[in-house]
Amino acid sequence: MKGAILNVTENIAKTIINFLEKGLDKKCFDAVLIPIKVPAGDSFAWVLVQNKSLLKDANPLPPVMPVQGAKALSSITKMGKTNRKIAAIMRPCEVRAAVELSKLEQVNLENIFLISIDCPGVLPLKDYLGRPKEAMDKFNKILHSAQNDIQWGNESTRPACQVCDKFIGTDIGFCQSNLHIGILGTEDKIIFLIPNNESGKSILNEMDIEAEKSVDNWEKKAKEIIEVRKKKRKEVQERLKSEVMGIDNLLDTFSKCINCHNCRSACPICYCRQCYFESEIMKLPSDDYLMRADSKGALRFLPDTLLFHLGRMTHMSLSCVGCGACEDACPMSIDVSQIFNFVADNSQELFNYVPGKSVEESLPLKTYEEDELHKVEI
Amino acid sequence: MTKVLKTNKSVEEAVKELLKFLLKSGKVKGVFTLRKINGNGAVAYSLITSLDMLKDAVPLFPLMPANAGKLLSNLTLRGSVVDPVVAVVRPCELRAFIELVKRKQGSLENLLLVSSTCAGVYPLEMAVNGDIDKKLSQYWDATKRGEIVPDTRPTCMGCEHFLPYTADITVTLIGKKDIDNQCEIFLNTEKGQQFVDGIDGEFVEGKLESEEVVSMRNKRKDEKKRLFDEIGIEKFGLKGLIETFGKCIGCHGCSKVCPICYCNLCYSDSKTYEHKPSVYEMQLKRRGGLRVPPDTISYQIGRLTHVGISCVGCGLCADVCPANIPISTIFLKVGDSVQKMFDYLPGRDVEEQIPVTTFETDEFVEVED
Repeated sequence: MKGAILNVTENIAKTIINFLEKGLDKKCFDAVLIPIKVPAGDSFAWVLVQNKSLLKDANPLPPVMPVQGAKALSSITKMGKTNRKIAAIMRPCEVRAAVELSKLEQVNLENIFLISIDCPGVLPLKDYLGRPKEAMDKFNKILHSAQNDIQWGNESTRPACQVCDKFIGTDIGFCQSNLHIGILGTEDKIIFLIPNNESGKSILNEMDIEAEKSVDNWEKKAKEIIEVRKKKRKEVQERLKSEVMGIDNLLDTFSKCINCHNCRSACPICYCRQCYFESEIMKLPSDDYLMRADSKGALRFLPDTLLFHLGRMTHMSLSCVGCGACEDACPMSIDVSQIFNFVADNSQELFNYVPGKSVEESLPLKTYEEDELHKVEI
Repeated sequence: MTKVLKTNKSVEEAVKELLKFLLKSGKVKGVFTLRKINGNGAVAYSLITSLDMLKDAVPLFPLMPANAGKLLSNLTLRGSVVDPVVAVVRPCELRAFIELVKRKQGSLENLLLVSSTCAGVYPLEMAVNGDIDKKLSQYWDATKRGEIVPDTRPTCMGCEHFLPYTADITVTLIGKKDIDNQCEIFLNTEKGQQFVDGIDGEFVEGKLESEEVVSMRNKRKDEKKRLFDEIGIEKFGLKGLIETFGKCIGCHGCSKVCPICYCNLCYSDSKTYEHKPSVYEMQLKRRGGLRVPPDTISYQIGRLTHVGISCVGCGLCADVCPANIPISTIFLKVGDSVQKMFDYLPGRDVEEQIPVTTFETDEFVEVED
């Protein structure tokens, strides 16, 4: 694998922004989709930028993920392709979600240039809000800990991030961006620009950036961390298995759910305008509620809390990219993303499918294979 | 003066005893109240039909996992309950339900409404680690003394409508020093009196608007003023709005839990709010950059315009906000101002019409040309 090397000026973020500015200057793309600090300075929002001066508060790798990037991209291209070329700089899980959404016809990737970055994870939104400065320092420490921390990321990042083994935007992370930015193993002195395909190569060409340098050291480091994360993911899921398997455990886990459905609103894959579980169908005549209450002595109100989660799981788990946005948005701190991740890993494995890996790979439910799942046949 | 049922039991016991009496005598078919579920400390509203299940009921537990007004609307949306059901809800939940009934989202028929002089509830996040259980003794101590309960939600601490308006039955809590071994249940309506007919206890006369209630109302009013001053919404302007709502993540959880937001599909989630790429391209050209998804503040202001007149200040919107935006205080402040303009108090009386559905030839002449 080959890539380009850029020397870090000031810091990594600034170097990446300079690169994007150069791309705008050279008309490689017309606009950039990037997280920018909000005016109050207490969060980040996705901004589509054409005017370079707006990039001064941009941060390609912010410490939190208030909105999943694929959702931002969807809002721009849901109704069709954009005529302006947009470079979207996102975390690998956001790129993977964007690819899934393109298969679900909620994102149009034409004229979109996806750039991914090595991702150390993000802090829980709750930990960031209120103390943005301290949280930022904490995050920067994690960001620069790659040299000595084999896990890259510690207990401060979100649970979903701690066990993420797809945090690299190249084939080793099952991610298909056009260009990946490597920051691992560089001691913050350089960054790598690694084209994943022809489009990535041609943009670097247009910018007169030669991409013939070896990135072996970066790749070695990345693979090491991936292995550690894979192991940790297994361990955590093993533990989770005993905690959530079976109907009683599930009822227990979701007993605190208040039906706000924030998890589904924050989920990039849950794109339905109106969720089935919020539709008229779920509103029953009063007699039905009383009959159901009678059959058990008492009926939780609203009923069907667990059904919502299981339904949502059935609907989106094949495409779940494990981004953790659901858990971040849960006011009751339920381990939603960990549970969904666990189930998703298993259902995806069943179809040998990795969401977001490739736009060419079609969704399992849309693919008819005569020769599969024989064990469930009668 | 109101007829009062007096018993020598703790409030918690007396209320459960009342519910038991109603269910056992067949006067009601079901009991709608908070209940401990799953044996893990989780508390949720439940529709209880068996006496056995009533033992887990915690009608006065200081938590609002959902606005019961919204839930009662769900229960009666497709038609009123055929057999009577008793519902134990908080004053703001009751007010929300009344607003929903006015909007044809529920029916009062066959519902016996029980409420209390409300001491407020704790934030939802305190239900996560079981912190509420540790706070219970403090909660009841402050309530008995007629003081604002510390650590309850800001909107609760500044709530002056803690005395229920349309309840058939009201349990008095605030400033009642003897609630551990004495309970006063006010029977406000004929319906309330009929339902408790035959129950054990002494019947006396009483006045809901007690000294303690007046004193608490003053304390809450002061707190409300302090809360409003702290937010300083008058000075917001566009800058303040951007700074306050800039961290909104667009989950719209606030509208999902709001009892007044009853739309099946919010306008802001509709196709109208989706734009073609050409719209983004035009904005890019005009402004050099734009936030995506767009319309963050437009959503908040739109919702404010839609629900302001009926906002009961229940506080759930702020409780579920993943971005910690003090939505409920802002909505309550704006709601209060709008409601005053029309001399309207949401949930005060089901016969009182919603101002926007009422035509008055003689109002707001000052804004006419």
